[in-house]
Amino acid sequence: MLGLAADRLRADMNRLLSFLFHQGILDEQFLQLQQLQDETSPNFVSEVVNIYFHESEKLLRNLRSLLMDREFSDYNKMGIHLNQFMGSSSSIGAKRIRNVCLAFRAASDQNNRAGCLSALEVLEHEYCFLKNKLHELFQIQQQRVLAAGVRYPMQH
Amino acid sequence: MAPTLPSSDQASDQDNWDNGRLARKRQLLIEIVLRNRLTALVVDGDTTCRVLEQLLLRSYGVQTQGVDNGRDAVALIASGVKFDLIIIDMILPVLNGLEATRQIRDMGVHCKMLGVTICSGESERQAFLAAGVDVFIEKPLDPEHLVPILRELDGQ
Repeated sequence: MLGLAADRLRADMNRLLSFLFHQGILDEQFLQLQQLQDETSPNFVSEVVNIYFHESEKLLRNLRSLLMDREFSDYNKMGIHLNQFMGSSSSIGAKRIRNVCLAFRAASDQNNRAGCLSALEVLEHEYCFLKNKLHELFQIQQQRVLAAGVRYPMQH
Repeated sequence: MAPTLPSSDQASDQDNWDNGRLARKRQLLIEIVLRNRLTALVVDGDTTCRVLEQLLLRSYGVQTQGVDNGRDAVALIASGVKFDLIIIDMILPVLNGLEATRQIRDMGVHCKMLGVTICSGESERQAFLAAGVDVFIEKPLDPEHLVPILRELDGQ
């Protein structure tokens, strides 16, 4: 019974990963992250992704704050925030977010405020979606670890 | 052909759903064994990128330090600390990557410098090379670009 639960969890995890890859939400770089995870750093991926979430939310707040300012004209500053967001997104394999940032940067380069606002809405939506999906993935992975622990109890 | 999710009957396809790319990247991550203890400085204003680049280097046994702006990078080098490799982002707070690279080279530092940035054009690439980096890479930093450089530094 416990073996079946572990198999089901593995299938759920693979199905979710496959979905995220086939939909272009993640790319191969996420695989590289997983390869850096080993028994000495078993929570490495979730820890790095949590750093990414923390930094991304700061960037999103900065971008919204810039655009909500009626006197806003510092597109150069916006470009710097976007470059940072693109770089970190690329580094964890968040392909779709990276691509939305690219479109956002194109609007910023043209000093197109309406285009920037529209791109920000899309970016915030995509970020929320990715965050929810990755949380779901990490929950499944945690359940797999727990299922493995129950299946193979510690010998004292 | 539209991508399809693997069926629950295809356990082997689910385990290797990236068509061998996972196996290849795993091979790249373990195939290099350094004979010498190499050191690297990572200069990146983005925490996610800096953490990941340092972890990737450490996975190969490279000793790393990280700083988050160009001024601190220049100050560290000026203090006499030596590195075999410097990985530096073009866009940095306080002092940008181009100027930081020029100042490091002006100090007579001849170590390998790897310039990284995101979504750049040919003019940015040429500017970074002219400032003094030896190699220019688009983010994210990956084993396919890094391993040949580490081999060269290790004298392999």
